Amino acid sequence: MVKKHASRLYLGLIFLFLYLPIIVLIVLSFNNSRSRVNWGGFTLEWYRKCFESQSIMSAFATTLQITLLAAVISTIIGTLAAIGISAMKRKSQTFYLGATNIPLLNADIVTGISMMLLFVKFMDLGFVTVLIAHITFNIPYVILNVLPKLKQTNPYTYEAALDLGASPLYAFFKVTWPEISSGVFSGFLMAVTMSLDDFSITYFTRGAGVNTLSTMLYAELKKGVKPELYALSTILFFTVLLLLIAANLHPEKTIAVPVKDEKAAKKAHTTYLCRRVASISIVAILLLGTTGVFLSSQHTKGGVRSITVLNYGKYYDEDKLAQFTEETGILVNYEEYEDPEEMYTKYKTGAIDYDVICTSDYIIEKLVSEDELLPMDYASIPNYAGIDPDIIDISASFDPDHCYTVPYFYGTLGILYNTNLVDAADVESWDVLWNGKYANDMIMIASVRDCFTPALRTLGYSINETDPEKLDEALNILLKQSPDVSAFFESETCDEMAAENYALALCYSGEAASAMDLNENLAYSVPIEGSNFWIDSWFIPQTCQDIDAVYEFLNYTCRDDVAMANFEYVYYASPVISVDENMDEELKENESLYRAVHPTEADVANCEVYRLLDDEMTELYNDLWARLKAN
Amino acid sequence: MKKAHFNGLKRKTNEKGSYKKMKKNLIEFIDISKSYNGSLVLDEFNLYVRENEFVTLLGPSGCGKTTTLRLLGGFEKPDSGKILFDSKDITNLPANERKLNTVFQKYSLFPHMTIAENIAFGLKISKKSKAYIDDKIKYALKLVNLEGFENRSVDSLSGGQQQRIAIARAIVNEPKVLLLDEPLGALDLKLRQNMQYELMRLKEELGITFVYVTHDQEEALTMSDTIVVMNQGYIQQIGTPEDIYNEPKNAFVADFIGHSNILDGIMIEDRLVEILGVKMPCVDEGFGQNCPVDVVIRPEDVKLVEPGEGQMEGDITSIIFKGVHYEYDVMANGYEWLVHTTKYVPVNTHVGINVTPFNIQIMHKPESSDEEVVEIDE
Repeated sequence: MVKKHASRLYLGLIFLFLYLPIIVLIVLSFNNSRSRVNWGGFTLEWYRKCFESQSIMSAFATTLQITLLAAVISTIIGTLAAIGISAMKRKSQTFYLGATNIPLLNADIVTGISMMLLFVKFMDLGFVTVLIAHITFNIPYVILNVLPKLKQTNPYTYEAALDLGASPLYAFFKVTWPEISSGVFSGFLMAVTMSLDDFSITYFTRGAGVNTLSTMLYAELKKGVKPELYALSTILFFTVLLLLIAANLHPEKTIAVPVKDEKAAKKAHTTYLCRRVASISIVAILLLGTTGVFLSSQHTKGGVRSITVLNYGKYYDEDKLAQFTEETGILVNYEEYEDPEEMYTKYKTGAIDYDVICTSDYIIEKLVSEDELLPMDYASIPNYAGIDPDIIDISASFDPDHCYTVPYFYGTLGILYNTNLVDAADVESWDVLWNGKYANDMIMIASVRDCFTPALRTLGYSINETDPEKLDEALNILLKQSPDVSAFFESETCDEMAAENYALALCYSGEAASAMDLNENLAYSVPIEGSNFWIDSWFIPQTCQDIDAVYEFLNYTCRDDVAMANFEYVYYASPVISVDENMDEELKENESLYRAVHPTEADVANCEVYRLLDDEMTELYNDLWARLKAN
Repeated sequence: MKKAHFNGLKRKTNEKGSYKKMKKNLIEFIDISKSYNGSLVLDEFNLYVRENEFVTLLGPSGCGKTTTLRLLGGFEKPDSGKILFDSKDITNLPANERKLNTVFQKYSLFPHMTIAENIAFGLKISKKSKAYIDDKIKYALKLVNLEGFENRSVDSLSGGQQQRIAIARAIVNEPKVLLLDEPLGALDLKLRQNMQYELMRLKEELGITFVYVTHDQEEALTMSDTIVVMNQGYIQQIGTPEDIYNEPKNAFVADFIGHSNILDGIMIEDRLVEILGVKMPCVDEGFGQNCPVDVVIRPEDVKLVEPGEGQMEGDITSIIFKGVHYEYDVMANGYEWLVHTTKYVPVNTHVGINVTPFNIQIMHKPESSDEEVVEIDE
């Protein structure tokens, strides 16, 4: 009895362990709160938002197109390959089967990178390259499903058909096909599942503007978890689950039923029919869904001008992008990234030809030093006249001759705090991070330079300090602080602070503004010791194909109404003067919020811009970071 | 018998002369060679089959008999040589265009079709009318004694029934030749014997040519008009069942067809052979003097007599009751003789052995190693 209970408990634990993460995800997708720890009641809001989001729906359409096209083509190729392999002698069979299975065993990321390197040589990355990649990695799955069926078939039946006068094709469809069709079908479903699931290979082989659900999820999750993504993940999970069930439901061929047992035979036949109908209808629904989405999302047409834009995630109002296309007829392939180093690497591999890119100051400094940029003709951007000259001056730190960049947003690094929990006087100095007053109630940013900035400024050093001894001092401060830190977050700060889960957080001004917008108990401060001041700017890489279209885009972006819309979307400080002038009076009156969306002159004067670190210093910083994290 | 004759037998079919002239040749294999993975399966193989003949290709596994049938069916292509059918070259004709049908070794019915659909398969391809097809299905099922099986599923049939349906499926197409590749191999003994009679009856009723492949010598002797004994890609002997049984051309055939005593002997002179140190009279001539030979004596031709009355003496070492006769092992002059007789003699009895001259079969020794008798592995 005890044994029975113990084994049940054990089984229960295993299932819990396997499925708990997914259950958490599913529960969160119905949680009426942006926080991951608080339950705010049941809602379907995230599902509604998920279906309303242009980017999710277009990624969904791309995913279905790629998945189904890849599955159909790989099923055809894979089935033919399986037939070929099964007809080989055993030795060559082993060889070819092994050869086709290598992609299965190969790490996805290796397959992805090698495919990207190959494709870049011959064509632009885009829909087609992802499709080819998916077909390639699907084929082994199809072969693995079809081959055992072929081995089960009696080779004499095919020969018998030929013998009775059937042409090879007729014999295949009349005799071989009925015996292997269930294998082909489950191979197809496997291919669909694999395609739907794949991230690594898609990530490396996709081009600008091509996003499947998995790559979009990845990009979105990096910029902060939007609850609609929980909803999307839940939908994705159930789709795959449904497909797998369908693949397994698909019947083996009619079981041998002794004829005398007519009832059993009938019953078996009925269940067989039911299963067949079930699995076919699932596929039919998927197919219909795709065609529908495909038809409604046909966009790219030949002969139209287009530009490829690369920008940080959540950094441009999508409606305004659509409006740009409406006004100018120029299509925008809009690509997003999260990590500037990652963007740099991707740009450097030359995988995608971008026309215009927005990124951070120190990355631009690096690209300028590498002579990667095209000089701007500011005369072609009339609205450039509306940019704050002070910001242009500060840009000189990374664009000395000021000929390569157009500022887009700027801001500071400071402290976001909950006014109910934190004394406003405390956050006037970085000391609040080190003095232990808010121990275990504060969060830091998971980035080495952002963590070192307060420490270095507390010590009175530059945030671009390169003296190892001074950096060691800063590290000691951070090491002393680290037991007090609740968490190092990448992008969750806004939601967690809005949910009032922590008292204060090291935070960027724009993120702080977003959080304040969600919760009026929050406020923002830039400590008097000074901090980081940053500017994100547009630049034109050498890969640009249509520079006039880019000028139109930049002119549009600098236009008062567009800049205003983007400001309201992003909540960082805009260098377009009119944005500040036209800002909501109410917002301006909220001093703390206004400080976050428009740094005061004092703040600007008190702050420094990040400078490019050379390789040696980068390594040193990484080393310091590792030591801090190891603590 | 001459030495040269053995060459001819194996390399070229000089044997044609020994056929009785009956009807015209329907199938001719001319100098066919075929190898798999570098090992030769058929070497300059020559054979012809006449109309309405029941020809059996008999031999141990790996002798090339199935390959011969597959070449004829169009499932394999020879490396060299050609195949004539009705005097037309069909060597490169695909299987589906040949006017012959095959019944395969393993069950080859289409599992997802009913019995009627299986039988109708070939007729539908040749676009026969529905009425014609229905008629044919009825007729064929009657022929194989499975009336009323039209709507049964393949899985519900026994092995013997499946093979009979396979035959029905083949014959409804009215082929000129029916090829059968060990069709009864998977059946049990009783069923196999019944099917043998059925096949013979079918052949009579249909009046078509049968080319039958088997390794079962009893089956071959029962059904065939002509038996072709094959080994290692060569034809060893062609003849009627009686010829093959009573006058095996060499030790291989003798050993393969039935059980025999095969001994080394020396032909002292015409009509006198020395076996196991005993000179015995025989009826063969023309081997010259002191020529080493193979001697075949059928077990039923060995007579057990009182000690002192026989040509040699020995002891009975074992006895098995076989129904019609007893099977004895007799140890005499260092050789264990196989003896079949209806007379009962207890074990350990000392007996004499006698063989009449007519029953001693003298054969030349094979010339080279590849013609040597191989162990038969059934």
